[in-house]
Amino acid sequence: MAATDSLNETLARGDIAADMSGIQWITAGDPDPRELTQYLQQRGARFITITAYELPPGQGFSLEYLWDLNGQLLGFTVHVEAGTVSSVFDICEAADWIEREIHEEFAIEFAGRIYEPLLLREGDRPGVNLHEVAP
Amino acid sequence: MSYKLPMGPYHPGLEEPYKLEMICDGETVCDAKLHIGFNFRGIEHLAETRNYVQLIALMERVCGICSFIHTLTLCQALEKLTGLEPPPRALYIRVIMAELERLHSHVLWAGIAAKLMGFKTMFMACFAYREKVMDMLQGISGNRVNYSMNRIGGVNRDIVDPTAVLNMVSDLESEIARDLVPVFTTSSTARSRCAGIGLLTREKAVSCGVVGPTARASGVPQDLRRSAPYAAYSEMQFDVPVQTEGDVRARLLVRAHELLQSCRILRQALSRLPSGDYNCGEPKLTFATGMAVSRVEAPRGEVFYSVSWKQNARNPTRVHVRTPTYVNMPAVRWMVQGARVADAPLIQASIDPCYSCTDR
Repeated sequence: MAATDSLNETLARGDIAADMSGIQWITAGDPDPRELTQYLQQRGARFITITAYELPPGQGFSLEYLWDLNGQLLGFTVHVEAGTVSSVFDICEAADWIEREIHEEFAIEFAGRIYEPLLLREGDRPGVNLHEVAP
Repeated sequence: MSYKLPMGPYHPGLEEPYKLEMICDGETVCDAKLHIGFNFRGIEHLAETRNYVQLIALMERVCGICSFIHTLTLCQALEKLTGLEPPPRALYIRVIMAELERLHSHVLWAGIAAKLMGFKTMFMACFAYREKVMDMLQGISGNRVNYSMNRIGGVNRDIVDPTAVLNMVSDLESEIARDLVPVFTTSSTARSRCAGIGLLTREKAVSCGVVGPTARASGVPQDLRRSAPYAAYSEMQFDVPVQTEGDVRARLLVRAHELLQSCRILRQALSRLPSGDYNCGEPKLTFATGMAVSRVEAPRGEVFYSVSWKQNARNPTRVHVRTPTYVNMPAVRWMVQGARVADAPLIQASIDPCYSCTDR
């Protein structure tokens, strides 16, 4: 609960910024996707998707988690430097397929979960679809 | 003794390739795994190699049924990046096209569902209704599948005779209300084949994040046309049909009632079509650096686009598409658990799956 309480304080301080699409971005320091996922689910938000971006060489990836709360878009961004990020699948079932897809497209590891092939055929490697340079 | 029973990727009950691997005990499905990607096309990657004109043409081909919805969602995102605002007439035409597409999609689904129920007469009747909707779409756009209607800042073609379209919609509405809806809402065939099978509870629907009629049939009253209106939906009066049973029949009823609501929206939009331009002409487009998202309530549920662009770049840096079937399909695993093997084709069809969208 401490994590959620501190998030509540952070959000109450107004660390939310809207962009041109009207998304309310939670910009709390170095966000933990699991803490924020729990927080948003407790508020009744619906998980929409994760959009992955490959940053310039050596800078890793950026993951944008997007949620819907009564028609309002909410989001937070997680920077993935070492190619690994905590999975939220065990606390947010709706994130299953998109985590698997991002794993296969960009070779990003979602720690704490196992994968079954989603798009890849036998013999393909993660990262062949959208990664700039297939690992 | 349990055994595995594969359904697909090529199966008479599935017109498109995906695989439902069922673990059965006798005639009962105990669990299932889903496999997709048999026709994965890498469209998100292709999108990064296209300029904005080519991009609209490409994304129109994500789906063969919701082709208008995909370009609408994309163009709404591109309009945020360029700052172009479509004129009111364009917003109304977008509503009209989107609702005609919903009619077309729901009637097509009703036909396929009727076939899977063993109700072939209704299958033929539904495809006759579908032809009428496709004739309307062709009359407006000149095309029957990929309409090429959307552009950044409006639409490419006007509706020159809204009264003629309105008359066609009124005729179709009468036929649907008289013949199609009663069959699905009251017939014993539909009831015996659909009631109580393919259950998805409200809790599971929320947990899986399902969208569209699949969610609304499980008592989740979400509809972007109401909660986050786009185009001219904020000016339309309509109801959002919701059922609480969560079975195949509830999904059937939600779509049947949505057919009538679509006709209601069409009547309003066609009778109040504003005068004036239907696009912004040919201005020089300047894309802002950044990311824009857009969401539209497609016939199967929420379509989500995220488009990133860098100023002065020829192509987008990233286009991410999250289609409704992509979030609805994992729920099939829970729907078939405890069902009879013979009901599995109808259960998986009840989410109105689009494999083309899923394998984008």
